[in-house]
Amino acid sequence: MSIVDTVLRLLLAVVVAPWVGMLLVGLDRKLSARLQGRVGPPLTQPFYDLVKLLAKQGDTTSRFQTACLALFLASNVVSLALVLMGGDLLVMLFVLAFGAVAYIVGGFSAKSPYSQLGTQRELLQLLTYEPLLVFLAVGIYLRTGSFLASAAFSHAEPLLPEMPVFVLTLIAVFGIKLRKSPFDIASSPHHGHQEVVRGPLSEVAGPSLALVELAHWYEVVLLVALASLLWASPIWAGALVGLGCLLASIVVDNVAARLTWSWMLRFGWLVAVPASILNLIYLYATRGGGG
Amino acid sequence: MRDLLIPTLVLFPMAAAGAALVLRGRAWRSAIVGLVALVLVGSAALLASNGLLRYSPGPLTRFDWNRLVVLADGVLLVWFLALAWTRRHLGALALALAQAAGYVVLEVRFGERLRVQSNFAVDWLAIAMVLLVSVLGSAIALYALEYMDEHERHHGVSPSRQPRFFALILLFLGAMNGLVLSNNLAWTYLFWEITTLCCVLLIGHDGTPEAVASSNRALWMNLVGGCAFLAAMLMLASAQPVGEPMSVSELVRGPTPYLAPVALLCLAGFTKAAQMPFQGWLLGAMVAPTPVSALLHSSTMVKAGVYLVIRLAPAMQDTGLSNVVALVGAFTFVATAMLAISQRNAKRVLAYSTISNLGLIIACAGLNTAMAVSAAVMLLLFHAVSKALLFLAAGAIEQRLGTREIERMESLVLRMPFTTMLTVLGVLTMLLPPFGVLVSKWAALESAAREPVAMVLFVMGSAFTVVFWVRWVGRLVAVEPGQEPELKESIPPLFLWPMVGIAFVAVALSLLVTQVMLRFVAPVVASYMELGSQGFQATVSDLESRVGSFPILGLTLSLLIALALALLLASSRRRQAVPYLCGEPPMEGPTLAARAGGDEPAPIRVSGTYLDRYFSEDRHSLWMTAAASLLLVAMLGVASL
Repeated sequence: MSIVDTVLRLLLAVVVAPWVGMLLVGLDRKLSARLQGRVGPPLTQPFYDLVKLLAKQGDTTSRFQTACLALFLASNVVSLALVLMGGDLLVMLFVLAFGAVAYIVGGFSAKSPYSQLGTQRELLQLLTYEPLLVFLAVGIYLRTGSFLASAAFSHAEPLLPEMPVFVLTLIAVFGIKLRKSPFDIASSPHHGHQEVVRGPLSEVAGPSLALVELAHWYEVVLLVALASLLWASPIWAGALVGLGCLLASIVVDNVAARLTWSWMLRFGWLVAVPASILNLIYLYATRGGGG
Repeated sequence: MRDLLIPTLVLFPMAAAGAALVLRGRAWRSAIVGLVALVLVGSAALLASNGLLRYSPGPLTRFDWNRLVVLADGVLLVWFLALAWTRRHLGALALALAQAAGYVVLEVRFGERLRVQSNFAVDWLAIAMVLLVSVLGSAIALYALEYMDEHERHHGVSPSRQPRFFALILLFLGAMNGLVLSNNLAWTYLFWEITTLCCVLLIGHDGTPEAVASSNRALWMNLVGGCAFLAAMLMLASAQPVGEPMSVSELVRGPTPYLAPVALLCLAGFTKAAQMPFQGWLLGAMVAPTPVSALLHSSTMVKAGVYLVIRLAPAMQDTGLSNVVALVGAFTFVATAMLAISQRNAKRVLAYSTISNLGLIIACAGLNTAMAVSAAVMLLLFHAVSKALLFLAAGAIEQRLGTREIERMESLVLRMPFTTMLTVLGVLTMLLPPFGVLVSKWAALESAAREPVAMVLFVMGSAFTVVFWVRWVGRLVAVEPGQEPELKESIPPLFLWPMVGIAFVAVALSLLVTQVMLRFVAPVVASYMELGSQGFQATVSDLESRVGSFPILGLTLSLLIALALALLLASSRRRQAVPYLCGEPPMEGPTLAARAGGDEPAPIRVSGTYLDRYFSEDRHSLWMTAAASLLLVAMLGVASL
């Protein structure tokens, strides 16, 4: 990879991606509103929200939490940069986990019992989605012979037909990471279904909350990029897969019943994990020239 | 000079142990421990700068070293018998008797075959271990000087039993060095049994009924390992009429036709490394004073077990035995990580985490590819350092709070900010990128990607691991309103400097992970594998394998930038807000409380979640023990086919 190429990809990840993420989040809110029979905010509403949050007073009960949220944001940026620069998917997942851990530790440091309670649940969400994502990386490895995202991007055939289960697990991961029903038990960004107050974000306001919103934009793009690896050439097909997962999670969000954290944990470990493993077994069994 | 290094590393601590027994004053003790620390660290550094070495001590006047080893073995076995007898532990007694009988047979029938040309062989794996033992062991011994004074004050021990305590610690260090340097299995066995004895006596040091019970468990479980070790030697000696059957370097030269002894040695390694179903002794070991735990968990004892398995990896390359070993390790990795989730006791969490990581090391050794062995050696190094730091911090916390309960450590960041910071740093280096343990786990995952069963188990275990670490950190930083930070945390210098030193080593080693790879890991792998098969390539900025790449430099820089950003944001002036209680104003007072509808103020408490209904020991111990035992039977079965 040439220097110019590297810099361009870095710029794409750090500067361009949040705008895309903002629009996707706006789309999410618009769609959800329509599904609920509302008009909904304009597409660029998340941007205005961010500006508004940044202008607010920075009251806080825990400055430590603000520091943790900054780490959360940074890890999302680095994860996205790693994927777009063709880096190691496992390393990317570890960096992502760094952010999740920082987010959780920040939530624990806040004083409200709601924050404590929501953060416990956030930890369980991490336990639920982490293995699903690693299995996805292993699945991609089995077909491309490499953990590097660059190998998946340059893989000629689409991976999706052989990895159908991972689309479903990805929709679940979208739901968890984007805090959507039935996985919004820890906190939900805009319309609460089953979280307790706002979970780990109960004590977060103003500029600190802006950090979370910004991190969220990066996160959306990252997840779409991950899903797009399943159909990486042509890349527009991958983008469609990513958007499809996002749309599916939005629809699920609006039709899902109210569920509990124990349901989520059981769903993850008794349905999604075994299903992923089954798909992996298929990939092992039919290992072709690539894997 | 070179010739003096090995005797110094092995015999000097042992001699110092004798001195510590005789010179009983506090000042003498400090001087002895300080001197041993200096000598050990210096000799280990010299050994590392010397590189590869083969060595055998010259004959003493009229006295053969092999005879001395036999004599020492005899004393040890009698000691075990006496210990089992005085404690009325029938199982241990039977095992000790079996071992004594086996040893007599070995000496009488095969005495001549127990000789080896070079009794010591130094390779990079051994050097890495000697560095761990010498540096971490010394730091822990110094820490113990402070800890044991307070410990005895607290328990009202008089007269002081510290001479015995420190003699055992020093003997332990010498025996560990001997164990990893020795090239003669018969000598290794002696050092192996010395570490068992030291471990058992140290666990029982406090003499409480609980301590004695735990000590007994450690005794019989490790005697099982000793028996397996002895059986392996018997088989080797009887099977190989020519050559040097006891030479370790001979044994591991390549795939061996004698798999059964290798399997037995692995079994011995499993007992020492507390792999399931032998995890009980290490869990019980936490009743001992914390420096003992720190020693057992980081650089000595359990590491001897995984060291032996890694050492044996070449002998079982491409065999079914190797696969089963991988399975045993991977199973322990997942099972103990899962059980750790339900633990409320910090030392127990640490213990399960140790067993879990050792399982991962053994699994990697069993996978036995260049990448996997690299991962095993890296994890061995990094885990030892981070775990030593965590135990020392846990000991400091325990002496201050008088508890090991995680729930009681809530808001510790206000009471012991510096120690909390070190603890969090320890967890960070165990759990997150770009630190060494995580790099090793990445290496383990990439090397297991072609082995479906191992891979699935690795992924699950890693997910469980995150939960128990993060929850502990979460409790430490959880702060209630109204709690004021204490102005200054005073840490005794002998607590402070060993902890700071190890923390420094932990971070520095992680930053230099590519150097660690080049210096210590790559030579080991090169000596193990066929020509041309390389595990990982280390460049200045990355660690690369055939299938992936870990951008160490990039991630480290990112982390530094992110930390700077976080500090900047957190230090900007903010108004302190009151916590949200659904509209109720929080009451004045030391604990968070709210008044609900004019009633008495109700205190509000949220504790950590331990998921007993999914992960409790009661629920899982039985089937896990059964499954692990079956795996061991399978291992021995595969080897004897």
